Amino acid sequence: MRRLRMLSLLSIVLLIGGACKANEDEGGATGAATEANTGKVNVLGAGEPEEMAALQGIADDQITGVDYTVEFESAGNFEQDVQVRGQGGTLDVILLPQPGALPGLVTSANAVSLEDMGYDIGELEATFGTPFMDLGLVDGKHYGIPTNINLKSMIWYPKDDFDKAGYKVPTTWDDLMALSDQIVADGGTPWCVGFQSEGSTGWPATDWMEDIMLRTAGPEAYDQWYKHEIPFNDPSVVTAGKDFGDVMFHPDYVLGGAENTPGLAFGDAPLPMFDEPPGCWLHRQASFIPAFFPKNAKAGVDYDWFPFPSITTEGGPLFAGELAMVFRNSPEVKDFVDRFMGTDFQCAMGGITAASRISPNVNVGSDCYSDEILADSAEVLKEGLTAGTARFDASDLMPAAVGSGSFWTGMVKYMKEGPSSLDGILSDIDSSWPSS
Amino acid sequence: MSLAQAGDVEEAAEPVVAVPQGGGVGEVRTGGWFVRLTIVAVCILWLIPALGVLITSFRKEDLVNTSGWWTAFAHPFQAGAWTVENYRSALDAGGLGNSFLNSLAVTIPSTVIPITIAAFAAYAFAWMEFKGRYVLFVTVVGLLVVPLQMALIPILKLYVNGATLFDYVVFPQLHLNGTFLAVWLAHAGFGLPLAIYLLRNYIGSLPSSIIESAKIDGADHFTIFWRLIVPLSVPALAAFAIFQFLWVWNDLLVAYVFLGGERSVQVLTLNLANLVGSRGENWQLLTSAAFISMALPLVVFFSLQKYFVRGLTAGAVKG
Amino acid sequence: MSKIDPAPAGGGAVAAAAPPPRGNALWVFALRVVGAVAIPIVAFYILWVTFDFLRDSEANRVIVVGVAVVVGAGGVFFLYWAMNRAVELLPQRYREGVRPWIFVGPAMVLLSVFLVYPVINTILISFKDAQSQSFVGLDNFKFVFTDESMLRSIRNTLGWMIIVPTAAVAIGLAFATLADRLRRGEAVAKSIIFLPMAISFAGASITWRLIYSFRPAGFGSNIGLLNGIMLGLGQNPVDWLSQHPWNNLYLMVIMVWMQTGFAMVILSAAIKSIPDEIIEAARIDGASEWQVFRRIMVPSILPTIVVVATYMVINSLKVFDIVFVMGNAELNQTEVIAERMIRWFFIGQDFGKGAAIAVVLFIVVIPVMVWNVRRFREEEMIR
Repeated sequence: MRRLRMLSLLSIVLLIGGACKANEDEGGATGAATEANTGKVNVLGAGEPEEMAALQGIADDQITGVDYTVEFESAGNFEQDVQVRGQGGTLDVILLPQPGALPGLVTSANAVSLEDMGYDIGELEATFGTPFMDLGLVDGKHYGIPTNINLKSMIWYPKDDFDKAGYKVPTTWDDLMALSDQIVADGGTPWCVGFQSEGSTGWPATDWMEDIMLRTAGPEAYDQWYKHEIPFNDPSVVTAGKDFGDVMFHPDYVLGGAENTPGLAFGDAPLPMFDEPPGCWLHRQASFIPAFFPKNAKAGVDYDWFPFPSITTEGGPLFAGELAMVFRNSPEVKDFVDRFMGTDFQCAMGGITAASRISPNVNVGSDCYSDEILADSAEVLKEGLTAGTARFDASDLMPAAVGSGSFWTGMVKYMKEGPSSLDGILSDIDSSWPSS
Repeated sequence: MSLAQAGDVEEAAEPVVAVPQGGGVGEVRTGGWFVRLTIVAVCILWLIPALGVLITSFRKEDLVNTSGWWTAFAHPFQAGAWTVENYRSALDAGGLGNSFLNSLAVTIPSTVIPITIAAFAAYAFAWMEFKGRYVLFVTVVGLLVVPLQMALIPILKLYVNGATLFDYVVFPQLHLNGTFLAVWLAHAGFGLPLAIYLLRNYIGSLPSSIIESAKIDGADHFTIFWRLIVPLSVPALAAFAIFQFLWVWNDLLVAYVFLGGERSVQVLTLNLANLVGSRGENWQLLTSAAFISMALPLVVFFSLQKYFVRGLTAGAVKG
Repeated sequence: MSKIDPAPAGGGAVAAAAPPPRGNALWVFALRVVGAVAIPIVAFYILWVTFDFLRDSEANRVIVVGVAVVVGAGGVFFLYWAMNRAVELLPQRYREGVRPWIFVGPAMVLLSVFLVYPVINTILISFKDAQSQSFVGLDNFKFVFTDESMLRSIRNTLGWMIIVPTAAVAIGLAFATLADRLRRGEAVAKSIIFLPMAISFAGASITWRLIYSFRPAGFGSNIGLLNGIMLGLGQNPVDWLSQHPWNNLYLMVIMVWMQTGFAMVILSAAIKSIPDEIIEAARIDGASEWQVFRRIMVPSILPTIVVVATYMVINSLKVFDIVFVMGNAELNQTEVIAERMIRWFFIGQDFGKGAAIAVVLFIVVIPVMVWNVRRFREEEMIR
């Protein structure tokens, strides 16, 4: 009896107290910020944690005096994280390395167009070049701002040993083949090639194909290729594949042989260049590969690079890059994006040693780059962009099913099965192209 | 053979007849050399992979990449072969203490909540009669197959935007993303099928005589559950608690999606993954990170393991 | 065994009492109503208030955990107790019909939101196109059953579903039985087998990469144990993970290593709960150890074996991490259904195909469910 009375009294007290507390808390605790210019802006990038941390450092230095905070995150599993968070609605800004995925994200994750954010597209095109801006074009609206660019058509070599042996840097494909023959005659193995990259195994081989395609069939055919205006087994593509095979399947050219290339990690592949005498002398790879070189190797002394030579046409530099996409249209996000693509931030970005970032902003000078190699690459890229000969990595522009799927696996199969498999593989890739 | 008969036999037969195999008259549970040898062999086999990780975590970076970890046995006392540098850089990396607390804040409720809910449901499936019992239970078992990744997007959408069906609000817009509550509920939901399945099996195997006599004494289901079943089920509850704790503690994806990757709410697994990156070549860091992350689960496991290593002795259940 | 106190916990609202004097009766009645109504409302309010508090992700972690544990366990229990009291208020004939639903209710709610709703969502998407914009009927399913990689994944998954549970349950059972006999060291032995469950998946993948790693000759020494052994025997190193079809087995070994501890723990508890007398009587009767095992122990714990086996089968059905992380599955021909699902859904950005593959998973689990129903009915007959 007494228990019941006490319990009921307690209940009533709690009822009233609870109601008051609930009203109090109403104003306090919130989950997501929706007020103007306050709260957090999260930026999801595909780069390594060190790279994101370095960008965070720049942001902390430069983005001051505002009511919001910026947090750069490195995604462990970028494609999956972007899809889940994009569709769920918890993304603000992403740094997308594969423009081929952009149209899909626009639909599934409700990306905000640059026009809706109030940007003047003409200004942006003047800053970044129309070809690059066009990569973010979907149904007449722009969805991507270039934020990073890196050069891919580079062949690395051990400079000190080259000079000692008296080798000359080649400027044409024929010269390159002659150099390879000379190395073989001198008792060495010219090429180090590795394609293994866990779930992405095969992507370095696509880079080879693209460089060759650009320099045999030319930029226009290249465009038709990645847009699927010509089939994947078009004669021009077959020619490029055959040229690729001329290097890979030549009995003495590749250290370990072509069939071992899919099992060799791409980061391990250049290491024999630093042995004495060098296990190999030539390595074709993008501008980020110095991060995998031995720590004591010095740029310009122990190693250097030369551009991928012309074959039947001059071609242009192959590059890859990043487009920033926005998913939440609010003042703080716009403010952040303005600063991020501005020259101050972009210039500071060139000084990051944890990653080789080059700014696509044409107003950023070469003195921003801490590394000579980066500075030279930036020059080559600017030339290519302004001349209109530079081309984005094709596999990043193709639909994901091909560019991150059948193209990669097809190249690996080519290495394992040899030259005769080329036609079958190219038509398989062609038939895997999604119909929509 | 009923229990009564077995009891008679035991009392009647004095240990005059030597019991075959094993050692010692009347002693049932001794293992001979065969048992011991097998067990030791299996244990060594099981430990070898983990041994590789342990050794690698104490080796210098250049050694890790250039020689196999087993070669460390060849020169165990060589100066400069071992280092605690990997652990130091992991622990210094910053934010570790905060992410440790975050992991605790995620794991403990995510273990406690599903156990409570599952225990009630398991009891109902085991000992209560109601229509649709089999169908419902089998559905629960079937739900074990739902892949986590398929559930992430719908639930995240639910958390952020709520859900409406034909203009009626079915789920209010709660902005739960980025809150701890979101992760607890998600983990509870994902862990329930296994919890219910395991607990129901255990609770269902308790002798029906206990429950019958309690009912005769006039207890209702709630009392039977709370005062009788739960104390008896402690081994099973502890066992599931360990599984759930380990699973939630080591989980990265659910915490990342619902709680977020920002530094303030990062859990330990995410923090360590960011330390190492996804390039996968920093093996010495990866291994030390794995061991740091394992420290607490091992402590939890060892403190609770008596509950199921010893198991229920027959006496507590009889009668 | 002590008698159970028949009085329900807390409050005596339902306890039969001698009818009190008139004025008191009204007061008591009013309190009874208020109490019955207030208690669930208070339960709800307390949960709501703490809900708001817990939504604030800036709150002090220790307090948050404390509150969560109190609310999570205590509050949930309180909720059940309150619902139980509500049931007590019902007329006698409805009570026992409604009460089971109180017990399973919260579980059903959670499962519906977190598992059933995504399943329905997935099934709906599987009939739509890649961006879930328009219906395409059965096209995605046609793809699932004709694509070469998909068919291979189905074959591989069946292999996983047969080999891994068999191995894990067999080893777990054998180990549990043998370890049971040890006089000392039982806890240590079991802990060693259980250890892999404490390692996160990232840790496990690095563990096994240190076993299977391959580098071609000339690119550095091999740091994987198996290749170390090969080199020690004078052989060439082997790229283990690309040797199909054996690479499937190498991956299955990883899963067996990780999951046997679970099977062993559960089976061990079941073995220990077999009454000693039965076993001793059989031994005295002259049964050999193997006969005791086969004819006494296994039948006694058969329900538990079914549970463990079922769980392992379903787990093998949805294996994904191991296959996804250890190399490119399509190149190595180690695809499994769940890995294909992730690849199509997230990397290929084709939601329709990914969802259709998930639906295949749902369908394959149905026979397992049916088998479980039959077993339960049998078990309950015996009980």
